[in-house]
Amino acid sequence: MKRIGVFVCHCGSNIANTVHCEKVAQVAKDFPGVVLSTDYKYMCSEPGQVMIQEAIREHNLDGYVVAACSPRMHEPTFRKCAARAGMNPYMVEQVNIREQCSWVHANKEKGTEKSIDLLRMGVAKVVKNEPLYSTTIPVTKRSLVIGGGIAGIQAALDIANAGYPVTLLDREHTIGGRMAQVDKTFPTLDCSACILTPKMVEAAQHPNIELMTYAEVEAVDGFVGNFDVTIRKKARYVDFDQCTGCGACTEKCPKKVPSEFEMELGMRKAIYTPFPQAVPNKPIIDAKHCRYLLDGKCGICKKVCPTGAVDYEQKDELIVERFGAIVVATGFEQFDISAYEEYGAGKIPDVITGLHLERLMNASGPTAGKIKRPSDGKVPEKIVFVKCVGSRDEAKGRPYCSKACCMYVAKHATLLKEKMPNSKSYIFYMDVRTPGKNYEEFYARTQNEYDAQYIRGRVSKIFQVGDKLIVRGEDSLLGRPVEIEADLVVLAAGMDPRGDAKDLARTLGISYDQHGWFTEAHPKLQPVETHTAGIYLAGACQGPKDIPDSVAQASAAAVKAAGLLSKPELTSEAMTALCDEAICSGCGLCQSICPYKSIEIKSINERYHGQMRQRRVSNVNQGLCQGCGACTVACPSGAMNLKGFTNDQILAEVDALCQR
Amino acid sequence: MSAVDNPKQPAKEWEPNIVGFACNWCTYAGADLAGLSRMQYPPNVKLVRVPCSGRTNPQFVLRAFQKGADAVLVAGCHPGDCHYATGNYFTRRRYLLMQRMLEFMGIDPRRFQARWISGSEAPKFRDVVTQMTEEIKALGPNRKLREEI
Amino acid sequence: MNQITKEMRDLARELLASGEVKGLIGWTKGSRWYLTPPLFITRPEEAEQLYFDQFAVNNLTGLLLDYRYGDDKIALFVKGCDSRGIVRLLQDHQIKREKVLVIGVPCMGMSDKKAVTDPRQPVELPLLDKCLECRYPNPVIADRLIGGALVSGEPSEPKGLTASEAAKRGVGSKQADRFAQVKAIEAMSADEKYAFWQAQHEKCLRCYACRNICPACNCRECIFESDKKGWVNKSATPTDNAFFAVTRAMHVAGRCVECGECERVCPMDIPIMALNRKVIQDINELFGESDAGTDLDGKMPLGLFKNDDPEEFM
Repeated sequence: MKRIGVFVCHCGSNIANTVHCEKVAQVAKDFPGVVLSTDYKYMCSEPGQVMIQEAIREHNLDGYVVAACSPRMHEPTFRKCAARAGMNPYMVEQVNIREQCSWVHANKEKGTEKSIDLLRMGVAKVVKNEPLYSTTIPVTKRSLVIGGGIAGIQAALDIANAGYPVTLLDREHTIGGRMAQVDKTFPTLDCSACILTPKMVEAAQHPNIELMTYAEVEAVDGFVGNFDVTIRKKARYVDFDQCTGCGACTEKCPKKVPSEFEMELGMRKAIYTPFPQAVPNKPIIDAKHCRYLLDGKCGICKKVCPTGAVDYEQKDELIVERFGAIVVATGFEQFDISAYEEYGAGKIPDVITGLHLERLMNASGPTAGKIKRPSDGKVPEKIVFVKCVGSRDEAKGRPYCSKACCMYVAKHATLLKEKMPNSKSYIFYMDVRTPGKNYEEFYARTQNEYDAQYIRGRVSKIFQVGDKLIVRGEDSLLGRPVEIEADLVVLAAGMDPRGDAKDLARTLGISYDQHGWFTEAHPKLQPVETHTAGIYLAGACQGPKDIPDSVAQASAAAVKAAGLLSKPELTSEAMTALCDEAICSGCGLCQSICPYKSIEIKSINERYHGQMRQRRVSNVNQGLCQGCGACTVACPSGAMNLKGFTNDQILAEVDALCQR
Repeated sequence: MSAVDNPKQPAKEWEPNIVGFACNWCTYAGADLAGLSRMQYPPNVKLVRVPCSGRTNPQFVLRAFQKGADAVLVAGCHPGDCHYATGNYFTRRRYLLMQRMLEFMGIDPRRFQARWISGSEAPKFRDVVTQMTEEIKALGPNRKLREEI
Repeated sequence: MNQITKEMRDLARELLASGEVKGLIGWTKGSRWYLTPPLFITRPEEAEQLYFDQFAVNNLTGLLLDYRYGDDKIALFVKGCDSRGIVRLLQDHQIKREKVLVIGVPCMGMSDKKAVTDPRQPVELPLLDKCLECRYPNPVIADRLIGGALVSGEPSEPKGLTASEAAKRGVGSKQADRFAQVKAIEAMSADEKYAFWQAQHEKCLRCYACRNICPACNCRECIFESDKKGWVNKSATPTDNAFFAVTRAMHVAGRCVECGECERVCPMDIPIMALNRKVIQDINELFGESDAGTDLDGKMPLGLFKNDDPEEFM
């Protein structure tokens, strides 16, 4: 039997006023294992701590129970106290006779009785405690940032500036992301490229940042501090070491393809850079459209390249690199408006989205910044905006608000008026949501100074008559139908998660919500962490965000990542699950229930009737396990147990509470 | 120390003995907050602290009844708020079945309850404990599933 | 000799002679007309001992656990109900797919030998209740098929050589009554329920026959065998038996393949399937219909969740 000490705290009068502390200590003397039971005014005070430490040495205690306040308050104090006396800190149990007795039960007799019950429970548990130890894991001091939009760039810069190497990975062949497509930014109306491209260049030239564009994450193994990431570097067919980015190949390439960057409002070549300020500013060959790669004819780019950089034989390359932390910043996709057939979306060429309008407005865009209708190139005069397209619409499976649309529509209306003083914008809205610094003021200016007409109501139908677009809707404030003959309709398409976000989530072992947005560890208090330690979220991959929010979150994620990388080593949770391999039958029921992917099945060799045989058993990664204990309940044989909250300990507690 | 094992004391009025499993992050914190707010409630529910409601094996519940508990409460974070992301969703599935199973065995459903009580819901903790105590007082001592003494 | 028995012997001989399998589990004619117990053979000439009739009721899948760590490939015969046990064992990773050769047989429905009145006098016996309630008379998984059996992963009508016989005998005719006993117990008052189950717990010997035959009870070491962990007393008191009964049902929750063998082998006639069916009924109502052991890719209902699962705890 272990030698157990019991220390009952008065907490001044907090406990002693409504609990007979001396009596509690007296009764505990008879509990099995108890060799010392005493009470004191303040156990957490220095004299109290010294008293406990002396008692540990004097009475050669194996463990102790302190009956005091909540363990959520002082458990670390009493564990440290044990450690100072040379006792394993996990040989301590604390029972709560303040928050859950003295403060809530005015009847002193009853409070005392319950205190005794709780103390009996604590003693019954502590005799079954075992010393526990946390382990340490080295940290690979490098970070991976997945996604090179503004969030990814910001996170990479911040981590790099904190002194840690960063690999900034983008599946496209330039960084910049969505923000690169945007013309101007609200609420300041500064040009997007003017503020973004310096950051892109800074990232590219930063000594701590390695750009890895045109690459995708294929697999992730390992865990916090040491992720082994398999990356597919897609074939570019251009040797970047040779290429000078002169552009001769692009100029001569005979194949024209609608440009994704220009929202298919303009054309690009099969060997191309997506936009003039792309980083890296070197072309790649789009294998789906290159004539040479498709049927072996052409080869012009190779002929004209002065440095011999074109290499049609290039293949995808798989590399495995180790990172200590991962920031996910994969952004969003614009909602596919073709779901709104009633708006002619996807069919009528002059029904476009916000991103289309960005390209039409942009000075380096397909129309050199002149607003021209996609159908006939006419300059529109009446422009109708429809908000909440693919947002706040249960019928389209998008109940959430996309957050940025109210502001970008106000921005569009303002800019259109600036560019074309004779134009008029009509904006159909459900609500106008402008909670951001200087946002409401911007919206007010759009109405008051830029003549935008806001109409509260949904649009029911959009159709073509001649070269006009008839927009039929309802003004719900006036309670009457509205019909506007428009030249151009802009649908404020909302944000969607990336189509393959769920695949990436599974690869990373992070969770996502019903729409596919990645889930933060806690909606309020851990907004950039994921449930997988060492993986952080930045930007719109976690939910719709505008640029300021994305940048702020990126910096927050960077601090988390840098904080992790700054540690010499990681200390793992001591109270983790542990599998008894002798009992485990390897059924894997525990595996599917683990929120941290910390259980894997391993094969063990054992001798059986003189022969070696292999057998499956569960193995808990002590670095990943957070000690929730879900696996222990999934395990029918009881092979899986949780250190510090073992089956044995909890059964003993239950027995002690019932044995009265 | 109760009247049962202390024959020197006169037999007291029977009081229900209720074992409560409380997750560390929400319900246990909610109970602490009830204390900080000096709320008053009956002392009949005694909490066993577990990291997560998902740690509460149905066999612990059976054991409590076997050893003489008059009722059992399992309480944790609201779905969506689990400190461990998903623990309470599994708890919900498991105890929806367990509750029906106990009822099927002839146990009054009031004797086994599961509740979501967050760290801020001190009044809810007080109310759940108070109500459960009153219900069990009305039902009387539990003899079912109990081992013979 | 019936056609299925003939095909069984031919195939067994071929498989053992060719060395494709090292052993084969089937049934043989027992010492009485109403007994067709399991048989394990390893040599082709032993194939002559195989036999199949309406008394080959034993689910053989649990016997595979004896070979789970071996390197030898084992063949075994499965009826529809048995075959779901194969899926159970595969999903639980207790057998390797490539180490087992599953031979599907058609089923005419199994007779209830408890109805035997005169052991010397063969008579037509009624079907077992579980066969009347059968929804999967055809194998859900098989590598080879005999007797015209067909694989079906869905509830279906009996197929193969014995299809008409099965239909005549009423296989599956009481599918709709699958939960009748559960409903009857649910209709009782709390005290009646308790008294009903208490009577069962008083009978239970804790012989573990129910556990031992069950393909879902495939732990290496059952918690009821584990003396050091102290979950429950080994003595067969009513309270410990109740602990066992509820815990067993919860351990197979969402995993029970409804072969009904637990109840059939119980020497004390405890209605064990009522507990299993209670859980199945509740799972279907709460989390959506599913039949365990019919789909290798199927997920365990207690190993997953939906955000919008029924909310009763509030």
